[in-house]
Amino acid sequence: MEISEQKVVAVIMVGGPTKGTRFRPLSFNTPKPLFPLAGQPMVHHPISACKRISNLAQIFLIGFFEEREFTLYVSSISNELKIPVRYLKEDKPRGSAGGLYYFRNIIMEDNPSHIFLLNCDVCCSFPLTNMLEAHKRYGGMGTVLVSAETANQFGELVADPITKELLHYTEKPETFVSDLINCGLYIFTPDIFTAIQEVSTHREDQANLRHLSTFEALQSPTRAFPLDFVRLDQDILSPFAGKKQLYTYETMDFWEQIKTPGMSLKCSGLYLSQFRFTSPDLLAGGDGTRSALIVGDVYVHPSAKVHPTAKIGPNVSISANVRVGAGARLINCIVLDDVEVQENAVVINSIVGWKSSIGKWSRVQADGDYNAKLGITILGEAVMVEDEVVVINSIVLPSKTLNLSVQDEIIL
Amino acid sequence: MKALILVGGFGTRLRPLTLSVPKPLVEFANKPMILHQIEALKAVGVTEVILAINYQPEVVLNFLKEFEAKLGITISCSQEKEPLGTAGPLALARDKLIDGSGEPFFVLNSDVICEYPFKEMFEFHKGHGGEASIMVTKVDEPSKYGVVVMEETTGKVDKFVEKPKLFVGNKINAGIYLLNPSVLNRIELKPTSIEKEIFPKIAAEEKLYAMVLPGFWMDIGQPRDYIEGLRLYLDALRKKSSTKLATGPHIVGNVLVHESAKIGEGCLIGPDVAIGPGCVVEAGVRLSRCTVMRGVRIKQHTCISSSIIGWHSTVGQWARVENMTILGEDVHVCDEIYSNGGVILPHKEIKSSILKPEIVM
Repeated sequence: MEISEQKVVAVIMVGGPTKGTRFRPLSFNTPKPLFPLAGQPMVHHPISACKRISNLAQIFLIGFFEEREFTLYVSSISNELKIPVRYLKEDKPRGSAGGLYYFRNIIMEDNPSHIFLLNCDVCCSFPLTNMLEAHKRYGGMGTVLVSAETANQFGELVADPITKELLHYTEKPETFVSDLINCGLYIFTPDIFTAIQEVSTHREDQANLRHLSTFEALQSPTRAFPLDFVRLDQDILSPFAGKKQLYTYETMDFWEQIKTPGMSLKCSGLYLSQFRFTSPDLLAGGDGTRSALIVGDVYVHPSAKVHPTAKIGPNVSISANVRVGAGARLINCIVLDDVEVQENAVVINSIVGWKSSIGKWSRVQADGDYNAKLGITILGEAVMVEDEVVVINSIVLPSKTLNLSVQDEIIL
Repeated sequence: MKALILVGGFGTRLRPLTLSVPKPLVEFANKPMILHQIEALKAVGVTEVILAINYQPEVVLNFLKEFEAKLGITISCSQEKEPLGTAGPLALARDKLIDGSGEPFFVLNSDVICEYPFKEMFEFHKGHGGEASIMVTKVDEPSKYGVVVMEETTGKVDKFVEKPKLFVGNKINAGIYLLNPSVLNRIELKPTSIEKEIFPKIAAEEKLYAMVLPGFWMDIGQPRDYIEGLRLYLDALRKKSSTKLATGPHIVGNVLVHESAKIGEGCLIGPDVAIGPGCVVEAGVRLSRCTVMRGVRIKQHTCISSSIIGWHSTVGQWARVENMTILGEDVHVCDEIYSNGGVILPHKEIKSSILKPEIVM
């Protein structure tokens, strides 16, 4: 087979329900990977980015959500993009590398020369084609996408500035190691499976050597894991660093992790501003005459109805069947399916849950600090905010009716 | 005879417990809330119970199937498509309630716990010959509620006053009614309030009578009242010299312990505690004014008061849990943690102390 015809596959790790308490209350109603950012499910963004790679044979989603949660999405996206997208359910937690290894036979079906591994909750520009070229130049087993950033966390990786080789990797350092962070996006050659196998075997040998039962191994201070639980960071990146096997590719664009609802609002905005360059036809336009006045980057689902006297944006995403009444004002918010925003209501820095209702002249807002616990106001599914009520910096769980104003509160 | 239990919606006031289990099935004194009512109705000869329920009716009905057979009573559901208020559900269930016999039917608010003196209420109803009877209960702070103003001797209801500013009486609606089928002719199938729209009309025609509820009463729809309600319930058991109450050197006051629960050495349990099936209370534990749901493990030397510990949770060693701490299902409190009023959603681990009341999502 010629090099130019070698196939490539992508694997997206989507996680599972037991790990998702940080995404509450939105995760009560939808698996995090399907939560919409800029009008599309979270997982859709890495999937569309993968579609741009030439010779892409298949896309696999690996997680431990129930299969039925992904059936509809997977079949519709496969049809839309004309490429097979499959959801593979892990039977038990195997770690970020263990899951990849467990499904190696399916992943290697088309005999791909390269495997992209992405984390679903990463928000970035996905420079996959350039990264693949770099990876081929380096000639190693794997390439990690890295970003120089020290705003929220300490960098974990040290890379050679000339060769870009990954020299050192530390998980969650508490002192300064470097300013490069792991972006959660990788390219591997099929050698990765051998490397993962080696880790399991080595661990088995160690256990045998010390005559430890699995139970004892779990109790010991070194906390050895079950043999088939392999973590990508600590078990692969760390030991293989500095051995001319792993390299880095740096992105200069935006990069964020979507761990909380607040971050999902921030990332929705980042994708909306990216649409301005990549797919401007997805963004809404309007000048307040025949359709609502649109400011900045805004997505409006075709089935949504927005009154011409409403003013929308910047950074607003409006989902299916939403009705926005006369004189309403929406700024920096995500409005989910079937919501009704009534006349003259104001929504700022908030996420309004499916089927909720925002009353006339009511005000739903927050300070807009994406990292603070109550920095973005979140209304769960079917929350009714009555006329003229004010909701500030609060989180409201599903099916509540607010007839009194609230501030800085979590309403169960 | 028939009965309608107004179960309603999502039970949001009893979250985080109702995030895991629909409210009627949340246990109170080791028995699902709705079963307390259904058993009392059966005892007075009710043959069919209709649940006016909006949320997860299948889950509730499924659970109650085995009791249908055991108790010999029919249980069915009436599900609202849109909120109908406190009277609308009666109109919705009209066809199920009217069977041509002309017999009155009971209506209960599902959050109410009391001694359910249904026989006495039936006699009272027959005695006055009016169209409707309601139970009222005496409270200390009537202005927090709607007050029923009535003639002391006959019980004839004069009027209802919502949250009165001046004292007009100290009896409030206890949420238990016995109605003649003709009442249904007064209720349209739309959102309607029984207290604001229906009862005042019947009272104006001098056909509404109120009976003062003997014994205790509590609306256990929120955690603080649930805990107080348990105290009242267990106190009533004590007055009847019930054998259900636990005894022993490690028991103080009124305590309910399920037969499958295990209690270790050196514990002091009570007053006002209910311990559910399969619980393990290790040595040296102090429990007071709390409910421990099915499958909970409380580790050694821990002290818990005025709290509710949700199903299958664990509380670590030397922990101190108090002041309205509510643990949802499958919550794990680590060793030596202090929780002052923490409200913890299901499937969480608490690794650091909670010094002031806080919701942990």
